[in-house]
Amino acid sequence: MGYKITKKENLSAIDFFMEVEAPHVAKSWKPGQFVVLIVDEKGERVPMSVYYAEDGKIGMFIRRHGVTTFKLWYEKNVGDKILSVAGPLGKPIEVKHYGNVVFAADAVCAQAECYATLKAMKEAGNYTIAIHSFENRDNVYPERFLAKSVADEFYITTEDGSVGRKGHYLDVVKELIEQDKVDIVFAGGKLGSLKKLAELTGSYGIPTIVTVRQIMVDGTGMCGSCRILYDGEVKFVCRDGPMFDAHKVDWDDVIKRDARFVEQQNLARERYIAKLREKGVI
Amino acid sequence: MTRKKPKIIKERVPTPEVPVEERVKSFVEVNLGYDFASAVKEAERCIQCPPEYASCIKGCPVHINIPGFIGKLIEHRDDPKKAVKEALKVIWSDNTLPGVTGRVCPQEEQCEAPCVMGKVGDPINIGKLERFVADYARTHGIEEELLREFVSNGNDIKGKVAVVGSGPAGLTCAGELAKMGYKVTIFEALHKPGGVLVYGIPEFRLPKEILNKEIAKLRELGVEIKLDHIVGKTITLEELLEEYDAVFIGTGAGTPKLLNIPGILLDRIYSANEFLTRVNLMKAYEFPEYDTPITVGKKTIVIGAGNTAMDAARSALRLGSEVTIAYRRGREDMTARIEEIQHAEEEGVKFEFFLSPVEFIGDENGKIKAVKFEKMKPLEERDAKGKRKIVGTGEYVTLEADTVIIAIGLEPNKIISEEASSLKTNPDGTLVVDKNLMTSIPGVFAGGDAIRGEATVILAMGDGKKAAKSIDEYIRKKHLSA
Repeated sequence: MGYKITKKENLSAIDFFMEVEAPHVAKSWKPGQFVVLIVDEKGERVPMSVYYAEDGKIGMFIRRHGVTTFKLWYEKNVGDKILSVAGPLGKPIEVKHYGNVVFAADAVCAQAECYATLKAMKEAGNYTIAIHSFENRDNVYPERFLAKSVADEFYITTEDGSVGRKGHYLDVVKELIEQDKVDIVFAGGKLGSLKKLAELTGSYGIPTIVTVRQIMVDGTGMCGSCRILYDGEVKFVCRDGPMFDAHKVDWDDVIKRDARFVEQQNLARERYIAKLREKGVI
Repeated sequence: MTRKKPKIIKERVPTPEVPVEERVKSFVEVNLGYDFASAVKEAERCIQCPPEYASCIKGCPVHINIPGFIGKLIEHRDDPKKAVKEALKVIWSDNTLPGVTGRVCPQEEQCEAPCVMGKVGDPINIGKLERFVADYARTHGIEEELLREFVSNGNDIKGKVAVVGSGPAGLTCAGELAKMGYKVTIFEALHKPGGVLVYGIPEFRLPKEILNKEIAKLRELGVEIKLDHIVGKTITLEELLEEYDAVFIGTGAGTPKLLNIPGILLDRIYSANEFLTRVNLMKAYEFPEYDTPITVGKKTIVIGAGNTAMDAARSALRLGSEVTIAYRRGREDMTARIEEIQHAEEEGVKFEFFLSPVEFIGDENGKIKAVKFEKMKPLEERDAKGKRKIVGTGEYVTLEADTVIIAIGLEPNKIISEEASSLKTNPDGTLVVDKNLMTSIPGVFAGGDAIRGEATVILAMGDGKKAAKSIDEYIRKKHLSA
């Protein structure tokens, strides 16, 4: 039982790339959909974005952030297996001709989604604009992992200007809108940025579809952990999303609910790090 | 020949239970069940009504020959193995999961309710006897013996059937079809098989070991289980129909109903499904040894009064919280099994009746701190389910709570019906089926909560069995006309 790891590569100071054999998922995955994986018998069910799905394998970008992702980085190597990969989950992105399509990313999940989404959008005849935002030089990925090959326009930003433009995707999006170059924005990543993006594009009336990240358990609509308020109604991100019209999301509640288990997450992480130290791994 | 008049013993032979102070600290099973001697003693209380009149059989949704299996225990009282094997044979012809149903069926409303003995004393403890037979058979190799007899009777493969969901309906349907000689593949969305039996019902009520054994039994019968497969997403119904001769949908009622009142997004408000899944399936009670967390405060309010509410309440109690069950109706209208209500009360769960939630009140950090309820009052008039109707009084009360679990019911998950547009559904999301349990798509059958909304494990199993028969007939006909 389990799913074999076929590739693993570091991307930056905080993120890495992993490819896993999961033919059942790879066969039917479409951009916008996600998977839920469990690293081992004691593991948690964790939703993950997908970078690509081909030849029976799925690629993922993963942040070393909590116990699951630490285990994936420190304990699992090519040839090893992870317990479970379920999916594809959620609704695919609607691929059609929009005109000028922006995809903006400032965290690992969205960096992963950028490539496949813009690839599909380009094939559908859109003019594609990729914006990858990172905090600083150490966090920037090698270019071949980014969406350059499928983007008509391609931007990297860093907060300190150490690579690419100084600033954030919000700055680039604003500029592009003012140049009248944006018909629709797709985005994902940090929830705080998405809230600001919604305010920005809302003020210009630009359609904006974003991936809402929420804590999930099953990922199939069974538990309601990922519920949000959308246009005044309760929606489940896993089943009704994960992409939503950014202008209809109640962002303050989304941001609060995302922090529900921070205390437990920190506790488990510290415990795990202590174990790694004991073993001399770090 | 005159029948010897049986001696009437009014009182049940009791089953031992783990003492309250011990069990509230762990998730061990509460009721310890009968041993052989006490099971025989209880069996001998049965006056053995002839099957054609036995009211217990009529009360059982799958019509298990109850006096028949009890009679085997009496008949072979000097040979425990034989007694149990013969009894299990009788049960198996109607129910392949007695270890489960003996524990989770509401016997007091079904087989035990009309028991003749109940008119003069306690009804026969049918549930615990059924459980005894299953447990003894499992732990003494009898089940395996019987299974081998079934398997060796197996012949050529008659066809291929896909079963969607591995809860009580799916497991039963798969088992029945495998015994008939079909190659069955179960598609399960989660990473463990069992459906509600694994994610919903806690260890203290249904030890996972029992379920695991049942699943091992199916695998021995040749049933393949594909985990992590969400039919409608990973694979479509149409794709299944291309590969299999028929499909059974036993996807249950897995989507929680949430209260449409202010504050529903506050932290530490869980659906019972989220709470129980974290605890049962993901073992959050062993966090951080297990990775999945759960946060439970000091004061938990559980809203609802069904079995799920009792399961959630008793789980929260075991995680160290004080627990109050708040129900909008009165005590006698609670839908949980009597044993679960009793266990909850013994363990210290408090009950508040005639309270209907109107608002969740949060603190400055977005965590729940209180629930505002409207006080309700009952009317004489009764609703379709025989419960007294209730009306609001306009009076309100606010109860402090740092954890809330909503257990007001479930509805079918729509993943399959949304993807397969030709699959007809009722307004409540349940699938439309004919008398043979076939859906609007030929060759696709369904049963359990997917067609009933919210019902019981035993009804789901009954459907699974019935659907297996229909599927067999359907495939035979299809092959004849081919």
